[in-house]
Amino acid sequence: MSQPVSAISIKGLTKDFSVTLRGVKLRAVDALNLEVAEGQVYGLLGPNGSGKSTTIKIILGLLDATVGDVRVFGVPANQVEARRNVGYLPEAPYFYRYLSGRELVRFYARVCGVPKASLKARVDEVIAWVGLSGAADRRVGTYSKGMLQRIGLAQALVHDPKLIVLDEPTAGVDPVGSAEMCELIVKLKQQGKTVLITSHLLAQIEDVCDRVAILDRGKLIVEGSVLELVGQRDRQALIVDPLPAADLEALRGWLAARGHSLNSVEQPRARLDQLFLSKVSRPGRPGGGSGGVGSNEVPLDAKP
Amino acid sequence: MSVASVPFSFGRLGLIAGNTFLEAVRQKLFNFLLLLAVGLVASAQFFREFNFGSSELKFIADFGFGALIFFGSALTIATTAQLFFSEIENRTALTLLAKPLWRAEFVFGKFLGVFAVIGVFCALTIGLMIALLWHREGQLMVINPDDFANGRLIAYGDLLIVGLLQWLKFGVLTAIVLLIASFSNTNLFTVVTGFFVLVICHLQYLARDQWSNVDNVLLAGTVRVLSLVFPNFQLFNLADEIGQGAGVSGEVALRVAGYGVAYIAVIGGLAVYSFRNREI
Ligand SMILES: Nc1ncnc2c1ncn2[C@@H]1O[C@H](COP(=O)(O)OP(=O)(O)OP(=O)(O)O)[C@@H](O)[C@H]1O
Ligand SMILES: [Mg+2]
Repeated sequence: MSQPVSAISIKGLTKDFSVTLRGVKLRAVDALNLEVAEGQVYGLLGPNGSGKSTTIKIILGLLDATVGDVRVFGVPANQVEARRNVGYLPEAPYFYRYLSGRELVRFYARVCGVPKASLKARVDEVIAWVGLSGAADRRVGTYSKGMLQRIGLAQALVHDPKLIVLDEPTAGVDPVGSAEMCELIVKLKQQGKTVLITSHLLAQIEDVCDRVAILDRGKLIVEGSVLELVGQRDRQALIVDPLPAADLEALRGWLAARGHSLNSVEQPRARLDQLFLSKVSRPGRPGGGSGGVGSNEVPLDAKP
Repeated sequence: MSVASVPFSFGRLGLIAGNTFLEAVRQKLFNFLLLLAVGLVASAQFFREFNFGSSELKFIADFGFGALIFFGSALTIATTAQLFFSEIENRTALTLLAKPLWRAEFVFGKFLGVFAVIGVFCALTIGLMIALLWHREGQLMVINPDDFANGRLIAYGDLLIVGLLQWLKFGVLTAIVLLIASFSNTNLFTVVTGFFVLVICHLQYLARDQWSNVDNVLLAGTVRVLSLVFPNFQLFNLADEIGQGAGVSGEVALRVAGYGVAYIAVIGGLAVYSFRNREI
């Protein structure tokens, strides 16, 4: 390797759809430039209809770019080779209802060329990893929305791809489930995977992403590392036990004497989702499990 | 950094075919097929002429093949369109085509899956028909031994060959419907157009016979071109040769089979070409 290749490189991407019979065009993506370096967790944000899913489909070769150059690990996105190292979870995923979860993951594993010898172990491993062991033999047609997202993640990971593209993986998933989804994404990052993710739940994106881009009507309006964008370098927060009014005044005076000012005094609150997570029990999860992809970790609470 | 190329794989093609077939099995399509085949062949019993001669056997065979052709065509068009659009409408094609997979593998995988399903239907119908004929022939041999002085009359081998050719014809029809589906947006449009083309393919020989001696060069040329574009389904119908003279000629059967395979290859290729740039 002479120079590092971006996991995803998008240059001057424009995508038009013809939406009426008279050939009126709708510009879904407008002159987009984006680089996702290897090993990053990258968030693609934007309001409904801003072109996130369209961009993702072009990256996966499901749509053709009208103008522009899109490459995945240096390979043009419309070539079959580009998809070798990519796992994809579509938005609102829907799978073959007539297969069981295990059969489904197995089917995709074979399509992706997972060697016969390691097939069974690998399939069981990813199913345990997304916490679906208990429901693996049920028909996918009977799965709930959250379970569909999990089995979708399993099929995206089964061939151990380097790049994982997740289109709204937490849509329709309860707070416990989406917190677990975030944990899984963090684990993927620890394994050195590149993750491209879209979501409307900005708080979660903020927690897991290294960089984010915000699209609006197909145009890139903000891009940068999360810290750069929302970190307030000129501010600092001190969390202390409740202070009597007199002590607070004294502190103010002490700070003023040193040329600092106390800008605000607030009561810190736990976030509602943290409250929810601490109150709601997790044992009801089918199978529930951890154990990293490609590791020999034993799932914590998987049934034997 | 160089990325290893992904060669065309018959393994993946087979996987998709297998999954398509499995869908038909799990959606209980086969229960319906079995019912249909049994119903068809059994109803031949009720329609038979009551002159207790070898002509009754001919009637059962004609009825069986007529039913095979009619219901087989309808089934082929409906099944192909359904199994193709279930992938598009349920958006499972999105996940599948995002894998390192050639679109050609997808199209020909679908083709083989449907072809196998239709094969099961043909096998059921023809198997039942042969069993019925064998049984009835045995009965008639006892009642009218004179008619069967030289042993059994029915050439069962020929029945099989004719059945196989019909199956191949349904294969051509499958390829045609896949080609329509590859650019069509709806299941309904595909089915309706499929039936339209089916009728043209069955009747095109009439047009050719009618217009072959027309003076107008342009018209004659157009008919010629059309008769090349649309395969002539009448060619596959060798049922009338059964039990006549030397029976079905192996050479003719082979030529017809070659004709069918050639059309499947060309139309399938066109379907891949048209599907290649389809936006999913
Ligand atoms: N196949 C298509 N034909 C025509 N227009 C389309 C097509 N797909 C998407 N669009 C349009 O392109 C624009 C961008 O859609 P896209 O699905 O990329 O948005 P999004 O950012 O993913 O939105 P959401 O958050 O709702 O998922 C929308 O205006 C949409 O209507
Ligand atoms: Mg979207």
